[in-house]
Amino acid sequence: MSTSVADRPRPSAPRRVVPEGPKRTVGEPKVWLVSVGLSLGLLMVVGLLGLIIKNGVAVFWPRRVAQVEIKADLPFSFQNQKTVTGEIIKRQERLAVDPKTRAKALAQSQKLTEIQLYVGNKDAWNQNFVFVDDAAIAGKTYPRELMKIERMEYGHAIGMPVAINDQNGLVSEAGDPGFFAKLQALTHEASERRERIKDIEKDQIGAINAQMEKLRLEQKTGDRSAAATEEKMKKLQADYEVLAKEAGALRAQQNDYQFVYRLPTGVERTVPVGQVVSFYYPNQLSLLQRIGWFMRNLWSFVVEEPREANTEGGIFPAIFGTFVLTILMSALVVPFGVLAAIYLREYATQGFFVRSVRIAVNNLAGVPSIVFGVFGLGFFVYLTGGTVDQLFFSAKLPTPTFGTGGILWASLTLALMTVPVVIVATEEALTAVPRGMREASLACGASKWQTIQRIILPSSIPGILTGLILAMARGAGEVAPLMLVGVVKLAPSLPLDLTPPFVHLERKFMHLGFHIYDLGFQSPDSEAAKPMVFATTFLLILLVVVLNLGAIFLRERIRRKYQTAAF
Amino acid sequence: MAQFIHVGGVLVVSAVLGIFVFIFSQIIPLMRGAEVQEMTSIPVAKGDYAVLGADEWSALPFLAELSGKVHFVDTVRGTEAQVVDFGQIFTAMAYDASNQQIVVGTADGKFGTIRIRYSTSLDEEGAQKVEGDAKLDPLAAIGRPGAAITSIALGGDDNSKLIGVIQAGEGKWSVHAVRLARKRSLLGGGELKVDGEFDVTPLIPGEPQTILVTAQADGIIVTMQDGTIHYLFRAGEEFQLRQSFKPFADHQNPRIAKLDFLFGDVSLVVTGDDGENRVFSLYRKPGDDKRTFGQTKEFPNLPGPATFYNSSLRNKAFLTGSGKLASLRYSTTESVRWQKELPFTVVEALIGGKYNRLLFYDTDSKLHLFDLQDPHPEVSFKALFGKVWYEGYPAPAYEWQSTGGTDEFEPKLSLIPLIVGTFKGTLYAMIFAIPIALMAALYTSQFLHPNFKGIVKPTMEIMASLPSVVLGFLAALWLAPILETRVPSILCIVILVPGAAILFGYVWSLQKIQVRRLIKPGYEFVVFFPILFVTIWAAWSLGPVVERIFFTVPDPATGERIADFRLWWPYVTGASFEQRNSLVVGFMMGFAVIPIIFTISEDALSNVPVALVSGSLALGASRWQTATRVILPTASAGIFSALMIGLGRAVGETMIVVMATGNTPVMDWNIFSGMRTLSANIAVELPEAPHHGTLYRTLFLGAMLLFLMTFFVNTVAEVMRQHLRDRYKTI
Repeated sequence: MSTSVADRPRPSAPRRVVPEGPKRTVGEPKVWLVSVGLSLGLLMVVGLLGLIIKNGVAVFWPRRVAQVEIKADLPFSFQNQKTVTGEIIKRQERLAVDPKTRAKALAQSQKLTEIQLYVGNKDAWNQNFVFVDDAAIAGKTYPRELMKIERMEYGHAIGMPVAINDQNGLVSEAGDPGFFAKLQALTHEASERRERIKDIEKDQIGAINAQMEKLRLEQKTGDRSAAATEEKMKKLQADYEVLAKEAGALRAQQNDYQFVYRLPTGVERTVPVGQVVSFYYPNQLSLLQRIGWFMRNLWSFVVEEPREANTEGGIFPAIFGTFVLTILMSALVVPFGVLAAIYLREYATQGFFVRSVRIAVNNLAGVPSIVFGVFGLGFFVYLTGGTVDQLFFSAKLPTPTFGTGGILWASLTLALMTVPVVIVATEEALTAVPRGMREASLACGASKWQTIQRIILPSSIPGILTGLILAMARGAGEVAPLMLVGVVKLAPSLPLDLTPPFVHLERKFMHLGFHIYDLGFQSPDSEAAKPMVFATTFLLILLVVVLNLGAIFLRERIRRKYQTAAF
Repeated sequence: MAQFIHVGGVLVVSAVLGIFVFIFSQIIPLMRGAEVQEMTSIPVAKGDYAVLGADEWSALPFLAELSGKVHFVDTVRGTEAQVVDFGQIFTAMAYDASNQQIVVGTADGKFGTIRIRYSTSLDEEGAQKVEGDAKLDPLAAIGRPGAAITSIALGGDDNSKLIGVIQAGEGKWSVHAVRLARKRSLLGGGELKVDGEFDVTPLIPGEPQTILVTAQADGIIVTMQDGTIHYLFRAGEEFQLRQSFKPFADHQNPRIAKLDFLFGDVSLVVTGDDGENRVFSLYRKPGDDKRTFGQTKEFPNLPGPATFYNSSLRNKAFLTGSGKLASLRYSTTESVRWQKELPFTVVEALIGGKYNRLLFYDTDSKLHLFDLQDPHPEVSFKALFGKVWYEGYPAPAYEWQSTGGTDEFEPKLSLIPLIVGTFKGTLYAMIFAIPIALMAALYTSQFLHPNFKGIVKPTMEIMASLPSVVLGFLAALWLAPILETRVPSILCIVILVPGAAILFGYVWSLQKIQVRRLIKPGYEFVVFFPILFVTIWAAWSLGPVVERIFFTVPDPATGERIADFRLWWPYVTGASFEQRNSLVVGFMMGFAVIPIIFTISEDALSNVPVALVSGSLALGASRWQTATRVILPTASAGIFSALMIGLGRAVGETMIVVMATGNTPVMDWNIFSGMRTLSANIAVELPEAPHHGTLYRTLFLGAMLLFLMTFFVNTVAEVMRQHLRDRYKTI
C-alpha cells in the first residue's frame, strides 16, 4: 500500500510531533473492488433481460432460408443429399460428447463450431433441426423461390411451390402470374371456414352438450321426469345432428384444393389448402415486409390457441388465464388488505400486540409461496371445495366440481400470498399522510370514519395502488403454488365464455408461467419447444417488468408528494 | 363503521395467521398411535383350529381345523355361516394369505392345497355381500413315503410354487421340497405339475422345528429345536445352505418360539422363548455379493414365548403376543403401535386385509373382531428425522423415497435429505449472492454518484421481480449446458474479476491527481464495465488452457492424459459431476437473492445519520475508512437482517430448484451434484399424493418446517430492523 513510502525512516528530517498522514487517500483500490459488485449486479440484470428479449424477438422474426452445400469429400449427408436447406438458428460450440475427441481438438486449438438449421418438414423427415459442422460447409446460397408454409399440423414446410390442384386436376401452376394471389385467396377462404367450424364445434355444440349435461343432472336429482327429459334430449340431439352435419360438410370443403410443393430433396408432397395457415417467400422479403411478418407472427402468437401439444400456434388461453387470475386476485386482495391495514394503523391500540401482529404479517410476505400452495390445496380445494360440492353439487359427485383445483381457489391462494404486500404498502401510505391533515379534519368536526374516508384514504390511494401493482406482479409470475391448486397444461375451455353462467370459477386454467415450465420440461421435444418457451418468457417478463415499473413510478410520485416521510 | 372495521380487521389478520393453525392441524394425525376398539365377538364351534384367514373386508373370516373342516364366520350378522368338511385329517397347515391358499399335510406323507374363494355381490338394499367357498385339490405324495408331515410351507405364485415339508417317522427327521410348475399350452393354463423334488435333509443337521418358503419360491428357511435358523437358497437345480445363524445366540435360552415373514418376504420376525422379538432382513453384507439375513430391529420383549403371529398385507405391521397380551408392531419404525392385555387368551390372530380390523380367536372358542384405526403407521419421529434400517439396506440410512413400483414397497420418509438439500441450495446461493449484493450495496450507498441512484435502485428492483420460473428455465436450458464444459473458465472469472478490479484500482491510485481527476468519484463502476468485459472474456478463453494444465485425467485405455474437468472432478474427489448441479442453482438463485439483500442493506447503510459521516470525514478519514469503520458497524444489524431475509427467500425458492437440479435427494455437499429441497419436493410430489394419506401429511409437515424456518428467520430480521430504527432515532 502507498503508506509504505511514509513509513520509511528519514534520518535528515526534523522531529515531528504530528505523524505524517498517508500520501494518498486510503482504500481507493478497495473502492474499486467494491464497485465490481454493482457492475456485476447490473450486468446480470441487463444481460438476462437482453438474452430473453433477443431470443424472444428472434422467434417472430422471419429469417432467410439458406441452402447449405456440404463439402463433397466428407461423409456427412442429409436425406442422401449433400445440401441442407433451412433457417440458420445459431452457431454454437459443438458439445463433443466424447471427451477424447474434445481433448484432441482442444490440443490442436481447433475450434469445434457447428450451425443449427431449422429444416422443418417434420412429416417428411421426422426431425426439425439439423446440425452441420462449420468446417464441413462448402458454400451457402439463398434460393429466391423457396417458400415457407405454416401448416395446422407438423409445423412448417420449406420447399418450392409447384401447383394448386382440385379434384379435376390442375388449377394453377407455380409459374403462373396469378398463382400467389390464388393461393392467398384460397387460404383466406379456408381460414374463414376454419373459424366457422370452430364456432360450430366449440360454441354451438358445446352449448348443446352443456344443456344435455344439465338435463341429466336434473333427472338424477329428480327435478324432472324421465319422459320430459327424453323429449328434450331428443330435440337437442336433433339440433346436434344438424350442426354436426354442417361442420362435416365444411370440413370436407377444406380438402377441395390441394397445394403441391417440392421438398429441397426433390420429393413432391401435397397438403390440403385447408391445412395451410400462412406462407411466404422468406428470401424475397424486403425489410418492411419482414417487419410486417414480424408483427403478424407476434400478433398471431398472442391471439391464437396452441396446437401440436403447445409447441406451435399461440398462447392466448395462457394469457387469458393469467389475466383473469390476476384480476380475480386483485379484486380479492384489495378490500381485505386495505381493511386490515386501516384496522392496524387507525383503530387498533398501538402496543405490543399490534406490533407483533404487524411483524407477523410482514413476515408472511417472506414465507415461501409453495407453503401458500400447500395451504390452498388443503384448505380451499379439499376442505372448502369438498364442502361446497357436498352442499350444492352433490348430484355430480363423485366427480368434483369445486373439490378440485380451479381458478377461484388459485386466485384465493394468490390473494392470501400477496395480502401482506398490500397491507404493508397501505400501512406505509396511511402513515405518510401528514398529521396536520388528520387533525384539521377532526377539528372541523368530522368523525374518525369520515376523516379516514374523505381525507386519509384518498391521499393514500397511490400507495395502495403501488401495493396492488406489486402484488399483481408477484401473483402473475408465481407458479409453484398454482401447480397445486388448478393450473393445467391445456385447458379445454376458458374461465370466461359465452355459455351461461359466463363466469366459470371452478374451471382449471392455463398460465404463462406454468406454460414455460411445462413446455421447457414436460414436452417430448424440448428443442422444438425452445422458441415457444423463449417467446412466452418474453411476454411474461414484459408483463412483470411493466407492472413493476408502474409501481416504481407511482412510488416516486408519492415520495415527492410527501417529502417529510422517511425510511 | 368502526365496529365493522374492527371485526373485519381482526378477521383478516386472524385468517392470515390461521394458515399456521390449519397446516398444523393436517400434521397432527401423523403423530397419533393406533386406536383399537372391540366391535363384536362371535362364538364358533370348538375345534383344533390351525389357520385364521379372512376376505379383504373382514366380513367373512374363516377358521381351518386340522380335522379337515373350514368354518366361515359372518361378522356382519354375528353367526357362523357355513362349514366345509373335507373328511380328511391333517397334521400340518400353513396359510398363504396373498394367494388365499392353505397348504395341508397328512400323517401318511401327502400334501394338498385348500383354495379359499371369495365373491362379492350387492344384495337388494345395495349393501355388499360376501360369499366364500373352500375347495381341496387332490392330495399328492411328497418326500419320504408314508412319513407324517409335522410342518409344511408354501411359496410362489400361480404358475410356479415351492412346497417345503418336515416329516417325522421311523425315528428320524427329513426335510423335502417340491417345485410345482404350470405347463403353458396354447389352450391356456395347464395343470400344476411336479417340476422338481429336492431332499435337503443332509444340509441341516439336528432336529428341525418349523419350515418356511419364500414368496419368490427360491428359498427355504428351517428353524431347529436348538434355536438355529438355516437359510437354504436354490442355485440352479439344487438347494444350497447359504446361511446358518442363531438369532438369540446372546441369550441363555436361544430357542425360537415363532418365526415368520413380514409382508414382502424380505424380513423375518423372530420371537424367542423368553419373548424377545427381533427382525432379521436380507441384505448384502460388505464383501459378500449374496444376500443373507442380519438383525436390523429389536423390539421390546413380550412377557413370554409368542403364541400367535400375523403380518399385514398392506404394510410392514405385524400382530404378535403371548397369552393374553396382544401387540401390534411396525417394523420400519421399530415401534409398538398398540399393545394391550386382552380379557381372553388368544390362540390365533389376524390383521384385516385393509389394515382396518384385528381378529382374535380365543381359548373359549370365540372370534373377536376389533376395529383398527391406524392410518399412518409408517411415520414416527425416528422415521422422519432419524436413521432407519430399511429392508435390503446394508446399514441404517437417511432416505427419502416415498413411492415405489410394487405393493411390498417400504416408504422411506426421512426428511433429513430434504433439509440437507434445502441448506445446500441456500448455501451455494448465498456464497454467490452475499459478496456481490453487499459490495453493490456498500458502493451504491457510500460511493455512487447520486445521479445514478435513480437508475440503479429500480434496476435492482426489477431483478427482484423476475419470476422464478423464468430463472429456472434459463438455468436448466441455457446456463447448465454452457457451464457444463466451462467450469475452469468460471474458476478463472471468480479469481480474475476481483483481481483485475483491485489491480486497476491500485494502479489508478498511483497516478497523479491530474490523471485521477479524469474519473469522478462515484463513476468507478461505469469505467469498470469495459474492464469487466475484457476480464470476463479473457478468463473465459483462459478456461480451456487452465483445464489442459491442471484438470487432466489419465485415460485407462491408452494412458494418455485427457483434459476434462467433468472427468477430473470424480477422479480426484470421488464425487459425481452432473450437468444440473448446485453451481447452476446457486448462480440463478443469486438472481432472486441479490436484489433482496441489496435493497435492504442499502437502505440500512443509506440511513445511517449524516452527522456520523460528516464527523468522520471532517476528522480526515478517507471515504473508504468512513464507510468501513463508521458506516458498516453502525448498520451491521440492518445488514444482518438483510442477509436473514435473503436466506429466507433462498430456503423457500421452488421453481429454480425444481427445474435446475435433478431433484435427487442427496446427503452430500458436493457442488457439482444436484439436490432435492423441501419446497421442490412438495411441488413435485404433492399433486400426486392421495388426500389425507401419509405422504400428503408428511408433505404438509415439510411445508410446516419451511414455514417455521422462514418465519423464524424473518422475525429475527424484522426485530433487528426495528431495533436499528430506534437506534438511528437516538443518534
